[in-house]
Amino acid sequence: MASFIDFRNPPGSDRRADTAVRATAEPLWIRRILIGSVLAFFILFLFLPLTVVFQGALAKGSGVIANAFQDHDILHSIQMTLVVALIAVPANTAFGIAAAWAITRYRFMGRGLLLALIDLPLWVSPVIGGLIYVLLYGRRGYFGPWLTAHDIKIIFALPGMAMATIFVTLPFVARSLIPLMQAQGVEEEEAALTLGAGGFQILWRITLPKIRWGLFYGVILCNARAMGEFGAVSVVSAKISGRTNTMPLEIERLYNDYLFPEAFAVAAALALLALVTLVLKTLSEWENARQFEASRRVSLETTIEPLSSPLT
Amino acid sequence: MSIEILNIRKSFGAFPAVNDVSLHIKTGEMVAFLGPSGSGKTTLLRIVAGLEFADSGEISFHGDNVTAKSANERKAGFVFQSYALFNHMTIFENIAFGLRVVPRSKRLSHEKIQERVISLLEAIQLPGLGNRFPSQLSGGQRQRVAFARALAVEPRVLLLDEPFGALDAKVRRELRRWLAEFHEKTHLTSLFVTHDQEEAFEVADRVVIIDKGAIQQIGTPDEIRSGSGNTFVRDFLALDI
Repeated sequence: MASFIDFRNPPGSDRRADTAVRATAEPLWIRRILIGSVLAFFILFLFLPLTVVFQGALAKGSGVIANAFQDHDILHSIQMTLVVALIAVPANTAFGIAAAWAITRYRFMGRGLLLALIDLPLWVSPVIGGLIYVLLYGRRGYFGPWLTAHDIKIIFALPGMAMATIFVTLPFVARSLIPLMQAQGVEEEEAALTLGAGGFQILWRITLPKIRWGLFYGVILCNARAMGEFGAVSVVSAKISGRTNTMPLEIERLYNDYLFPEAFAVAAALALLALVTLVLKTLSEWENARQFEASRRVSLETTIEPLSSPLT
Repeated sequence: MSIEILNIRKSFGAFPAVNDVSLHIKTGEMVAFLGPSGSGKTTLLRIVAGLEFADSGEISFHGDNVTAKSANERKAGFVFQSYALFNHMTIFENIAFGLRVVPRSKRLSHEKIQERVISLLEAIQLPGLGNRFPSQLSGGQRQRVAFARALAVEPRVLLLDEPFGALDAKVRRELRRWLAEFHEKTHLTSLFVTHDQEEAFEVADRVVIIDKGAIQQIGTPDEIRSGSGNTFVRDFLALDI
């Protein structure tokens, strides 16, 4: 032991002792470079572009913005985005809860496959997400002839756009619930079962309240992605302004038509939606932490009452 | 309410957790399942509760064959080692839960539910704490709430899975005495799982020693302590020393 210490700290060698201390705390100049480059990266790639969006929108004065939001096609694109999100988000919320429930509660054939495939939309390009729906439901696709015969239009119309968006946003709710439900276990549900509760009562009264913050987090993430989706939707949308354009597609159209202030105005609106999402997400995390802290604090103050006689 | 356990078998994959167990628990009896961890005693209790289903065999409550019934139809109160209280509900709502999930036609009136929960809160000596949340209570208090919650629905039998396992020694002894007195008064047929012999011998009318998914000995605490069991039982209870 003594020789070990001597080796690390030979007598009279202060330099070695110094480097030993600094091994855990980097020198000031390294810290400065590290923090500085992170900040520079953040400003260059995140903050600056965001401010430019709003600056671009305001470049020709607020009158252009006001006009932009009276334009029929632009208003229609906002409506389309909201409708698509209104279909995709509830669909993926229901699927996400069901998938998380099945994966964390049961052992079944194909469970591993389901767990792996849930992430698939995160790995593949969204364009592929759009393309597979064209291959399935397009005029020359598998179900194309049948759909044409029954006069059902999926591709180049709202159903296809909603489906492509569902594909792209499928992992978010399920992904935020699975680890949570795994950690929480099933004992509360089992307790509810022995108290006579049915499956729906357990879901509504026990499981959903337990996972509500995780669910909220997943839903707003899913919503942000649904409203911002470009690639998958652009493949299945006919890109007809005023009919099948969502906000991201409308932004591209305006930009290609050299209507920069209008393009930036819609982009700013979309960015604002994202910022609202970010605020909601942060608030949900605070609320979660606050509740946890509050319950912890009070439990420390609670004293144990003595126990004398049993139930009478 | 008697409990009949008949030729119960249960395997998890290739592992036989419960291996052909039969047992009759008389009305009003308090029976302890005592054994080392992994002996299958908790699995057996969960099969009685309907939280697990046996591969073969039968469970009856006083002649009512409940083998195929789900846990929510069996009216068997269950107390978990980790309390399993509903953390997002107040103590009051925890205890009232089983009364509120009853179909409307059979549900007690709002006032009756109120009355019963308040009297249960008094019985577990936590009067006035109905508005607290489980996280604001100590371990011993939480387990008392779990008892009250299980008893609120007037179960036919009471099943306890290591009910004092998560508590410190002092609270453990207190609650154990309380449970014994409670059983003395109500004679609610009870089954409880433990790995603590002292606990089993103090509280139970009969003790069932379980190992490797099979019953090794059944008897009153005195009979078992007399050393009449097999090598495993004597070894497990350290009766040879």
